[in-house]
Amino acid sequence: MMRLLLLAWSLLPLLWQLRASFLVGDALVGQGAAIHGSPWTLQNYRLVVGGDPSLAQVLFNSALLGLVTTGLTLVLAVPCAYGLRHLKSRLQPAVSAALLGAALFPTVLFFLSLLQLARWLGLANQLLALSLPYAGLSLPLAILLLRAAIADLPPELEDAARLDGLNSWQRLRWIVVPLLAPSLASTGLLVFLSSWNEYPIALTWLSRSELLTLPAAMGRIASSSVYTIPYGPYAAATVLGSLPLLLLVLVFQRWIVSGLTQGAVKG
Amino acid sequence: MSADLLPLLWMAPALLLLGLVFLWPWVHYCWLSFHASSLLTGLATLPNGGANWQRLLQDGRFWQDALQTVRFAGVSVGLELGLGLLIALLLHRPSRGRGLLRALVLIPWALPGTVMALGWRWILNDPHGPLNALIQSLGRSPFPFLTSPSTTWAFTVLADVWKTTPFVAIILLAGLQSIPRDLEEALRLEGAGHWTVLRRLQWPLLTPYVSLALLFRLAQAFGVFDLIQLLTGGGPAGSTESLASYAYLQAMRFLDFGYSATLMLATFLMVLVLSLLWLGGMRLVGARR
Amino acid sequence: MTGLLLDHVTRKAEGRTLLDQLDLHVAEGECVALLGPSGCGKTTTLRVVAGLDALSEGRIVLDGHDISQMDPGQRRVGMVFQSYALYPHLTVAENLTLGLRIRGVPSTDREERLARILALLQLEDLRLRRPSQISGGQRQRVALGRALLRQPHLMLLDEPMSNLDAQLREELRPELRRLLSSGGYPVLYVTHDQQEAVGLADRIAVLDQGRLQQVGDPRELYGNPANRFVASFIGRPAINLFPPQGGRQLAVRPEHLHSVETDGFPAQLLRAEWSGSQQVLWLESAAGLLRMLWPAAPGPPSSLRLQWHPNDALAFDERTGERLLQSEQAWSRDLIRSLQQ
Repeated sequence: MMRLLLLAWSLLPLLWQLRASFLVGDALVGQGAAIHGSPWTLQNYRLVVGGDPSLAQVLFNSALLGLVTTGLTLVLAVPCAYGLRHLKSRLQPAVSAALLGAALFPTVLFFLSLLQLARWLGLANQLLALSLPYAGLSLPLAILLLRAAIADLPPELEDAARLDGLNSWQRLRWIVVPLLAPSLASTGLLVFLSSWNEYPIALTWLSRSELLTLPAAMGRIASSSVYTIPYGPYAAATVLGSLPLLLLVLVFQRWIVSGLTQGAVKG
Repeated sequence: MSADLLPLLWMAPALLLLGLVFLWPWVHYCWLSFHASSLLTGLATLPNGGANWQRLLQDGRFWQDALQTVRFAGVSVGLELGLGLLIALLLHRPSRGRGLLRALVLIPWALPGTVMALGWRWILNDPHGPLNALIQSLGRSPFPFLTSPSTTWAFTVLADVWKTTPFVAIILLAGLQSIPRDLEEALRLEGAGHWTVLRRLQWPLLTPYVSLALLFRLAQAFGVFDLIQLLTGGGPAGSTESLASYAYLQAMRFLDFGYSATLMLATFLMVLVLSLLWLGGMRLVGARR
Repeated sequence: MTGLLLDHVTRKAEGRTLLDQLDLHVAEGECVALLGPSGCGKTTTLRVVAGLDALSEGRIVLDGHDISQMDPGQRRVGMVFQSYALYPHLTVAENLTLGLRIRGVPSTDREERLARILALLQLEDLRLRRPSQISGGQRQRVALGRALLRQPHLMLLDEPMSNLDAQLREELRPELRRLLSSGGYPVLYVTHDQQEAVGLADRIAVLDQGRLQQVGDPRELYGNPANRFVASFIGRPAINLFPPQGGRQLAVRPEHLHSVETDGFPAQLLRAEWSGSQQVLWLESAAGLLRMLWPAAPGPPSSLRLQWHPNDALAFDERTGERLLQSEQAWSRDLIRSLQQ
């Protein structure tokens, strides 16, 4: 019973969206009472996929940016976590504390400075350039998660590898990274999610419509007049934009949960 | 220190980007907050002493937004904690399909805030949203979900609670699962019921998880932006505006970058001070144990 | 000089002295066991010799070459870790040959050496398994094989038996001993188990608190300990320490206590521990709790009188624990007399 209630609480708003996405615009906003008898239609989906920007383009942008961000974050975070683990001096706890502080900070507050940076460096309206701030903002959490995972590896493995003649780069490449695979997956998923969902920076860096990411495209719809939001197409966009994430969460929930949990236990 | 040279080299690329993203904005905002940079100056940046800070102190809208942000963060995080604990206890109980349930519960957290903010805006639409359609079909007049300040505020909190409770629940679930089973079994052998187990065993051992989840959520709630921007736009009559959305407005609508930077810096400092107070408080509680 | 020489080896870390001026020579083909309680510096010694932990002072010389500053990978040292430290993501064959691959040994050469080691250790059938898919004893052999494949000039083993059950340990001991002595290189073997040290090593080095206490063959350590620590650490059941008198402390091994009709001093039986071939008696006396040996049958009387031969007592300085050799016999008589009153 409690479980059903929990499911209803979590999913009902989404199911409402799903239903709305199949109703014609008039039935949605025109006369509320008329909803019951409304005919079902695919018109909304046709509208968003064929619209400007096409939703397909938007989803592609988000996915591409998410993948590049995830890759960049991991490429930077793995060596950093490895180095952090091997720091001997008092820098170790200091850097860790600073990273924790950075991971907690509400990143929306950085948007103005980052926008300024984008202007100076000529990065505005370049989709993949967004991966720089995204990776930067994801790094603290990624580094902390990976450092915890590296600390969990038995230290003798690296000792044995040193005796086998592996230098530190080879140890990272042949011993540490392969053993980190599960943590890399869960960390990568969290980074991908946060990139997929990021709004204020995408909103300010991107203005050309063919470059918009999903949240930025949503924002653009919302900023049209309050009374004329095309809810039907919007609901269709919601459904299509949520589907990849739903799949990701359902398939990889174990990894996502373990990523979050690691952060809590080791943080 | 010399032994640290190689590790520092490993860390250098990441630290460089971190510095650019996390340290440079502080410097930039500090500098900008002592300059006028707006439409009035033709977007040129001119030093103006402490004028921005003076304006901040006298800006009723800033203080109102600060109060609203604190209130929003306090109430929504409080609700998330209570509800999150309930959900965590529910998910902790062994049952079939627990993994699937956990995944489904996690969905609101994983979805983009922007997407669901607009979703809520439609669901709560007055008078055409499905909730009001339901109310009207029961023969009542539509409820002003997003048109009167007090209800709008309440439903903004609700939308935030809906989205972020799963996060808190998963953290607390991790805490519950870190408690060895034998401890609970030992307590049950002495005749303890659910409530005693929760109060005497689980809650005390959850404290570090609770404090981490609270710290994280409070800091994030302080920067609430996506939801406000897309659900209410700060309205009605500024009643749901947050510090972050006010700062955004100053920069992107009024193009007053100097003042926007001042607002952000002030918010920075508030988060910093509150976090340190929180950590200090936690340490005090920890020390008393 | 050939073999391994530790010359004033000292390691300090985090404000503590973990190893203090260790001097030790291990000849080619010789196996020396490092024995001591946990935290005494046994493992640290191995790690310093292997180059995994830095040396603070002193030298490590292998076959006449000072290797103190070399990278671990260049020292031609084979090491078996207590946890075996096999790479969990690699197969047995890959575990064995990773080092050779990194060093750029050609694959034909690699295969040949691998085949030889697999045959020697009877691991041929396991070459494609991963460490998690093989038994503890097999893992130990793989770890040993990895060390041997390096063609080491020195072999280091850190409690290689401690993860195995007691029976397997006994079975493997002679096999390991044969393997180690056939190599012709010096062997340092860390253990906290006296039986293992006695069974495997030519000489035993006893360590306590980072200091070398005594080096010698097992009989010497047992019969002629250099100090109180060695006397009480070596030998089970443990040696009887009598209450100190006049700055010295006497100790008598349990098997040297005898039951006598007259003379001697009185003691009450507290408990008898039967162990098959004999019994250990726990006795209460004016000198406190004592242990002695008794034949397996018949049952001991509940009270008896004890005596020992004055030659069998060992005397130590009460404060420093150093052995006092001069007048052990006279002190022994004094002590018995005082216990009689």
